[in-house]
Amino acid sequence: MAVFHRRQVLQAAGLTGLAVLLPPELLAACSTPSPPTTGETIGGSLSVFDPHEAKVVEEATARLIPGPRDELSEAGHPGAREANVTRYIDTMLGALTLSPAKIFAGGPFSNRAGWPIDDMAKFLRLTPAQTSGWARRLASLRAQYRRGVKTLDKMAGGDFTAVSTDKMDEILAQDPGGFMTLLFGHTIEGVYSAPEYGGNAGLVGWHEIAWPGDRQPRGYTDAQVTLSDGPDVYVPKGIGEQLLQLLATSP
Amino acid sequence: MSRRALVVGSGPGGSVAAMVLARAGWDVTIFEKGANYFTDLSSDRPGTVFSNDELKTNRVFAEPEPTAEPRVYRSSPQAQSITGAVQPLPQTVGGGTVHWDAKTPRFWDIDFKKLSMLGPVPGAQVADWPFDYDEISPYYDQIEGLIGVAGDVSLFPKEPTLAHAPRTKALPMPPGPPEYSSLVVSKGCSRVGLHPFIAPMAINSREYQGRPRCDNCGFCSGYGCPILARVGALAPLREALRSGAELRDSSMVVNVETNGRRATGVGWLDDENNRHTESGDLVVLAANAIETARLALLSGLPDPYDLAGRQLMFHWFSEGSGIFLSERLHNYRGRDHTHDIDDFADPEFPGARKAAKAAGLPYFRAGKVELGGTQLPLDEASSYQEILRLLAPQKPFGTDFKQLMRSSLLRDRLCGIELIGEDLPYATNRVDLDPKVRDWRGIPVARITYGPGRSEIAAQSFYMPWLVKLLKAAGADVAIAIAELPSSQFPIAQDQVPATEHVMGGMPMGTNARTSVTDEQGRHHHLDNLFVADGAVFPTSGGHNPTLTIMATALRQATAWAGT
Repeated sequence: MAVFHRRQVLQAAGLTGLAVLLPPELLAACSTPSPPTTGETIGGSLSVFDPHEAKVVEEATARLIPGPRDELSEAGHPGAREANVTRYIDTMLGALTLSPAKIFAGGPFSNRAGWPIDDMAKFLRLTPAQTSGWARRLASLRAQYRRGVKTLDKMAGGDFTAVSTDKMDEILAQDPGGFMTLLFGHTIEGVYSAPEYGGNAGLVGWHEIAWPGDRQPRGYTDAQVTLSDGPDVYVPKGIGEQLLQLLATSP
Repeated sequence: MSRRALVVGSGPGGSVAAMVLARAGWDVTIFEKGANYFTDLSSDRPGTVFSNDELKTNRVFAEPEPTAEPRVYRSSPQAQSITGAVQPLPQTVGGGTVHWDAKTPRFWDIDFKKLSMLGPVPGAQVADWPFDYDEISPYYDQIEGLIGVAGDVSLFPKEPTLAHAPRTKALPMPPGPPEYSSLVVSKGCSRVGLHPFIAPMAINSREYQGRPRCDNCGFCSGYGCPILARVGALAPLREALRSGAELRDSSMVVNVETNGRRATGVGWLDDENNRHTESGDLVVLAANAIETARLALLSGLPDPYDLAGRQLMFHWFSEGSGIFLSERLHNYRGRDHTHDIDDFADPEFPGARKAAKAAGLPYFRAGKVELGGTQLPLDEASSYQEILRLLAPQKPFGTDFKQLMRSSLLRDRLCGIELIGEDLPYATNRVDLDPKVRDWRGIPVARITYGPGRSEIAAQSFYMPWLVKLLKAAGADVAIAIAELPSSQFPIAQDQVPATEHVMGGMPMGTNARTSVTDEQGRHHHLDNLFVADGAVFPTSGGHNPTLTIMATALRQATAWAGT
């Protein structure tokens, strides 16, 4: 939405320069044009991860957005594991091995809001510029995942999946090589994006936050747009209270 | 044999030019660098693959691919360069109007005659346009009918809106349903003496010319409309195609060929990077202000006074955010926002002259404020991700994150407002070709050098507190204003790519070839049959969304060329 720029809330919170910069790998790629490359050859039921990598990604993402099996406090609140975030990330990393590439879902409608067929499941053919950009981006991301999983294992003394959840949190909080930040971004996408991309299984991510998702062709009534939904009081507490205090005291 | 016109760009300016020329009997070819995401464009109900899909948008579906087709930004020639997505307007059939919010205010009388009516500003190249409000007004009427503007002019404030942009005709459609959050903030505006009103917008409130009524799906600004209840350039583009124009998408024009004072054609690349040439009797550049300047520079068009690409103007988008704890505002339904205020676009706003004088300026302006808007879940989640690094560095994820997502403080309880500030023309703000960075085809990319002047910073400083004041008056429990322009007072935005998507100037119109690139008809001063039909021709930027003025100006200009 044009009216609210995430970057600027971050500025208000004193966090600048994060949203619009390209990672150095891509910066380097920008200045040396080369023809689009084909994706790496990938086999197995997962398209990119080997079984151990998939397990590490599964456990790590479940720490970032935990569900009922990961935290007692999340009983009744599905997270990355329930949304199938590992499948989402694996699908994305291998998107160019599919035809058409699984980067941009189709349109105009899914079958979730009054349309008989799911147009969004029919992915769109990429333009040569998109193919060029995504080939580079995904090659870089696959390398970052390979490296990132190895680093998590190393920090866990050999196998990240074998340590306690407290230890996992401790490792992830160190954000080794920026891998946690990268993983968290993709975990968010896997939980809250349209299910055609491979995550948000059973729409658990959307239900969790009372988000209706795509709304065409049903739309909303004029009354739903214009009238109040009625009182719904949020009592500031915990992290929410801290966030409000941060914003209230920002410059 | 009919004469051949080549139009570069299928956005709002190029589509209007193509329509006028095709109707006048020209053999028109429209080159569009981007892909075509529509089917059956000349029919009443074209199909599209745009959808309610936040990830598709975040993965940069319709805009220039930021790795393959980056731009470079720097805040001054000495500053560090940033490479990536810089003012990435959609690069696709329909151009910027594919994802626009479709707000269609008119520029004011003082925008067209700024130098005569308001006077010079030291350090800026303030100029008059070659025509005034009265002359452009009938063209505004025609474009409003063509693209289908909904609104009620009787509800516009007499001061300042109608005093500066008088209306003689009703708009073709009544307004659509007002958005709840816009109503809430409008009340706050009224409480502090401001004048909110339902903004004119090119979004159907009823079926119009075969296109359906908007169904309030909510994926509006920043998203392609899945049902074409909001079009823009597609309306004149459809007319152009029906009049025989040919549209070539995925075809990038890389140079204008010239011979003496004539443009003789264009060189272009297809999707496989094969080079072709096309000859023409008239060439129109409408690739948007940045890409039009890039094309002029790539072509080495005559530029004896080093003017091409200079006087680039961005509107500055300073923001207000109000958080409401007593209710959810359901900003995700309906149009992005429905109400505006124009008060801050008025140089006579109470206190503004005095503040300008204190800053050593004769006057300043900001612009309109859009009342309402929020972000969708992926952007909301990313906000929390980054804020948690500050609030909970020992564990910036997990249950804290999930609690924030359930609270919806930065989505369903958020109401954003956006100030669109006027940017004066400065010769130092410019587009040139980056000496190193090339796009995926190997062509030098546009480098933007842009920093605000004293006028913009002074106006921002004066109006920022008002954003908080009106949100608080509307009942926001927490309200913040976030600067777009870096300054000592707001150091937080230093060396960031400006967030604006309003891009103007670079090939400004004027009567003097020593101070302008194009003449009063948008014709290049040194090439008799080369015309510019996008926002590049704006001599000044106004304080309102520019697209309607791009289209009305293109209509006026192309009507003159069509008979040449």
